[in-house]
Amino acid sequence: MTPDAVQEATSVLDARVAVPQHVVYRSFPSETVVLNLNTGKYHGLNATAGRMLETLERSASVRAAALTLAAEYEQPAEILERDLCALCRALLQRGLVEVDGSPAS
Amino acid sequence: MGRPERVRLAAEIAAAYVRTRVALRDRPIATVLATLRAGARPASAHNASRTCAATAGERAQTLEEARRLGRAVARTLALVPGDTRCLVRSLVLTCLLARRGIPATLVIGAQTTPRFLAHAWVEHDGLPVLDPGDGSFARLVEL
Repeated sequence: MTPDAVQEATSVLDARVAVPQHVVYRSFPSETVVLNLNTGKYHGLNATAGRMLETLERSASVRAAALTLAAEYEQPAEILERDLCALCRALLQRGLVEVDGSPAS
Repeated sequence: MGRPERVRLAAEIAAAYVRTRVALRDRPIATVLATLRAGARPASAHNASRTCAATAGERAQTLEEARRLGRAVARTLALVPGDTRCLVRSLVLTCLLARRGIPATLVIGAQTTPRFLAHAWVEHDGLPVLDPGDGSFARLVEL
């Protein structure tokens, strides 16, 4: 990782993730459906990503969410941190989450 | 309902359809809904069937009126070329109900099996006044 990438990952890890008002989601047995009311687009998350989103929303930071999920999935926290950061970036790009109040597109 | 009233209602539905399609071009659903509901008649005691003031008979009458309008919207928009899918139908009906002071909720639901499908419908007093589908749609949001 480049120094910039390390810094970005660290700042994401310490950030709190919120689901904005214009985004609604619901978990189904096979996937989680996310609807962005601003764009009218539906998105599908697999069961693991859906659980990650729920945990992110309830946690004080991405790092805290990683610890919760690491215990749940019996995986090293570093792996969960990496996966959560990737998910956060993907959700941010689609305007489905806000990170520490940053505007979602 | 006589022919002149039916024609007037069809014209009102057509006008609401145009407003809806124009608004949906560049505005989020919630904003479109607010626009279509703006200027609505305030719900009277008769129509505000959620209030204790409305009797069971009045509530049933309001529900029947909402369902009648729902049928009219579905029938009229079936003849209109262009996008007249469930969301547009629901927005048009919401507009008509708002103009009459009848409270309504637009519901968006989804199913994931056997394949992903989304559906929108309108409810009054917790009961559907537009086709809610076959019961397989789980509610995502109420607007």
